[in-house]
Amino acid sequence: MALFEIFDPKAPPRPIGIDLGTTNSLVAYVANERPVAIADCDLEVLVPSVVAYLPDGDVVVGRRAVQLAGEHPRDTIVSVKRFMGRGANDAETRRLGPYDFVPASAGEPNTVRFRVAGGRVVTPVEVSADILRTLKAQAEDELRTLGGAVITVPAYFDDAQRQATKDAARLAGLDVLRLLNEPTAAALAYGLEKKESGTFAVYDLGGGTFDVTILVLDNGIFQVRSTGGDSQLGGDDMDRAIAHHILAELGFDPARQTPELVRWLLDQARAAKHELTVRTEVEVEVPGQRRFSIARARFEELVSPLLERTGIACRRAMKDAGVKPEDLRGVILVGGATRVPAVRRYVADLFKKEPLGDIDPEQVVALGAAVQADLLGGQGRSDDVLLLDVIPLSLGIEVGGGVVDKVLPRNSTIPCAARAIYTTQEDNQTGFEIHVVQGERELAADNRSLARFVLRGIPRMPAGMARLEMTFNVDTDGLLSVHAKELTTGIEQQVAVKPSYGLDDTTVERMLLEALDHGEHDLTVRLLAENKVEASRILAATRKALEVDADLLEKGEKALIEQASLELEQACDKEDASRIRSRIEALDDATKTFAGRRMNRAIARAIEGKRVDAVEKTVEHARGIEAAHAAGATRAG
Amino acid sequence: MDPFSTLGIARSYDVDLAALEKTHRELSRALHPDRYVGASASERRSALAKAVDVNEAWRIVRDPIRRAEVLLALSGVLVAEDRDPKADPDFLLEMMEQREALSSARQARDLAAVHRLAQAIRARSDETERELSLEFARGSSESLLPRLGELRFYRRFLDEVSTIEDELAA
Repeated sequence: MALFEIFDPKAPPRPIGIDLGTTNSLVAYVANERPVAIADCDLEVLVPSVVAYLPDGDVVVGRRAVQLAGEHPRDTIVSVKRFMGRGANDAETRRLGPYDFVPASAGEPNTVRFRVAGGRVVTPVEVSADILRTLKAQAEDELRTLGGAVITVPAYFDDAQRQATKDAARLAGLDVLRLLNEPTAAALAYGLEKKESGTFAVYDLGGGTFDVTILVLDNGIFQVRSTGGDSQLGGDDMDRAIAHHILAELGFDPARQTPELVRWLLDQARAAKHELTVRTEVEVEVPGQRRFSIARARFEELVSPLLERTGIACRRAMKDAGVKPEDLRGVILVGGATRVPAVRRYVADLFKKEPLGDIDPEQVVALGAAVQADLLGGQGRSDDVLLLDVIPLSLGIEVGGGVVDKVLPRNSTIPCAARAIYTTQEDNQTGFEIHVVQGERELAADNRSLARFVLRGIPRMPAGMARLEMTFNVDTDGLLSVHAKELTTGIEQQVAVKPSYGLDDTTVERMLLEALDHGEHDLTVRLLAENKVEASRILAATRKALEVDADLLEKGEKALIEQASLELEQACDKEDASRIRSRIEALDDATKTFAGRRMNRAIARAIEGKRVDAVEKTVEHARGIEAAHAAGATRAG
Repeated sequence: MDPFSTLGIARSYDVDLAALEKTHRELSRALHPDRYVGASASERRSALAKAVDVNEAWRIVRDPIRRAEVLLALSGVLVAEDRDPKADPDFLLEMMEQREALSSARQARDLAAVHRLAQAIRARSDETERELSLEFARGSSESLLPRLGELRFYRRFLDEVSTIEDELAA
């Protein structure tokens, strides 16, 4: 048997999908066109998202860490996802939990930091990176060479939370192909595109986050119409409600309990919740106290306010999408908490139909992520499946009086960009203070603050004379960057929005290098491998383009492109990353105008509403459109 | 930019939104960055820029206010909220009354009253859109600006309703 397991160095790298969950995480990949979850050596696919930091410096992840949590409640971080991209003073940080937070001192970024065994301090990004490393190792055992990862995030995650997730993945040494919204991933896993069209809702109640997404399926395209949710609502809150109930029954003050008791109570509460999905009553016994029982009906009363909160988000999402429950063809359930019977009943009432739950709600997101990873990083698969996602919360700028001017409204399809122009309020103002916020509220103070920066060096002018142009760009990961330019002087500033409690790029790079044993050497090898993969992809794409759109080639163009392709192939035989890089660029130059003509043909066909296979070749039309789009690219703001 | 030409549709205030959504999807199929993962850097850049333009055009055209603004701008009328002519005093007075009624309903936590007020404003907003459409059919000019101003009032009112609904439901 061992013969079959010999590593084939020519085997293509395999892209993976990762669900980095609040309670459990898992990794999946596509084998023979079907997504499968990867099991560990105990044949378990779910890795509990629990990390224990031991006094001897050992880091333990998963089931063994769960066992350590009782004994080391402060050193074992559970549900770290709730702290991603959060500040130390956020309400979320101060809820019932056993942790020892390091207070932020003056002048330091307001980051959540846990103090664990041996005085070690870790951030949520580092804890998440430890979980991702475990998943990565698990995938490497199975697949040997990984070809990049799609990591899922709750659709309702704001920019700071997304950025933190991406940082964690980079820190774990993963090549992030995409951050993908969890509900969209679930829809993809259902493979609805193969047989269905219509409007669907995805109801995703995870351990710590709630998402609802309304999407339209049309001929292989998943178009998200609206999304909503609550990034601080999930199964954990049900546990906490039970724990508070137990404390109240015993007449204990929640604020004055030991970390050990709090951890124990939360674990008991979770066990009781699981029991109550199959039984109508459970017994609870706190050591040294009286026994008492919790009936399912009582539990349902306790969680009913939580369900009502999901209902508000669902109704809002339907309103934003312009649909009513009757318009929906189906509702998909995602997340472990949707196993609770009261949740299923609530969802059925809300959407007026029985929800679909035939794929394991705890695996469905990772399976969908694997499908997307295969579409993005797979070799030569030309699928007609496409995801069109949106930003979950409006993005804006604080203007006079602390009011928000929305630059990009929520539910804008990504990638997207928008511009807005502002002016000075005072005479001789030489700087603009720019405050970028995310959220729906009218006042900046009530929204999430993403970044503050100052554009300086503006010459003295009377109020209202300066013209500040702000450009917002949101990429396909849903991440924002902001560009500011003063139009009368041309002073510019480009800002990647990095919240003050995130990690900056140099910190991530440094931590990454420290994590690698042979930093320099590994990086060189990796760079060469990455360039080779890219070269082979581009060569394949170029060959295909020459074949499919041969009629768009101008005289002599084909020979030039073929020559540049040949030189790139030759460069790949020499093990030199920079040489490959320069040949890639040369081929890029040689194909530039041809590529432009191909794209214009694609646009022309799309506008005519015809699919590629049903279209006659319309070279003239393609060239006419070129002019219109060139004009569009140079417009003023 | 002319979002109508980006989307390949006629420049008009009357837009078939269902057909437009379909066109947007087909353009996305042709231009979305995911379609170009294996392509050369310049092709990826140019596809991305065009996908962004298409999404922006779609965002503008499906929004009745921004659609009106861009139609006016394309025919040379200066449009900016702070340059709009002063609204009719009677209209302003009435809007102030409506806003006060909304604020009382909010304080009384009277969701039914909030819905009633919202419904009335929504009906007027729809009516104003119809009038705009008729006027645009006769040509774009500065005389349309007051209507546009009214639409903006209604939009802000309905945004506030949305906030209040969430607040009262919680």
